Amino acid sequence: MANIKIKAKFKDGIVKVKALAKHEMTTYNQAEKKTGDRNNANFITHISATVNGKIVYEASTSQFLSKDPIFKFKFRGGEKGDTISMTYVDNKGNSKTDTAKIK
Amino acid sequence: MKRRNFLRLGALATAIAIIPSQLSAIDFRETKPSSWAAHNVDDAIKALYGDISVIESGITITTPKLASNGGAVPVNISSSIDAKSVALFQDANPEATVAVFTIQEGAIVDYDIKIKMGKSGTITAIIEGRDGKFYAGKRTLDVALGGCDG
Repeated sequence: MANIKIKAKFKDGIVKVKALAKHEMTTYNQAEKKTGDRNNANFITHISATVNGKIVYEASTSQFLSKDPIFKFKFRGGEKGDTISMTYVDNKGNSKTDTAKIK
Repeated sequence: MKRRNFLRLGALATAIAIIPSQLSAIDFRETKPSSWAAHNVDDAIKALYGDISVIESGITITTPKLASNGGAVPVNISSSIDAKSVALFQDANPEATVAVFTIQEGAIVDYDIKIKMGKSGTITAIIEGRDGKFYAGKRTLDVALGGCDG
């Protein structure tokens, strides 16, 4: 299953994107409760989206995003048929990338 | 020690020069680590942007008035300010900083994101404008069921 589900729609010069990143998003406190070690916390620390090699969305994030966080954003400069690529990195260093076509 | 710092600075500058401009991603967790450990909103803002005075206008934060599940509180930040970065804080969790968005030039500030809130609290958004000014918006909401175990 895809790690990041992306839906991108082009309308009137603006691309609307809805993305769902599959991730546990464990906070430090949750990790301590479940495993007894705060260092087991795992959450997305940085997520970005690029279209045609240009960054259109970028966020540094903390453990306080919900589990499987949803990101919605809009940007100019995309076209129908372009490929949007999203990458996230979590604090364990795992990186996942997924792509979708702008419809 | 000073020389070592200087060398590191030089290496960093070279690295920045080599990276093409379209890859100018900024990871605020690396550049401003202290702001992610701050326990209240004022400290976090200070750690991220320094001592700033904010103008409390221009930002709309939309959330439900009462969030039934603190594990996933939908938050929308929108603004027409020409922004350089947008930072989101709240005072219901052990650490204050939630997310920092880097805004590309000409981008639209209209972001939806789902966050965790341990209890009822206030969400604060700070926008760093391209004009060098800082803008703030606040939104207080009730959380019926805390979502991140404190």
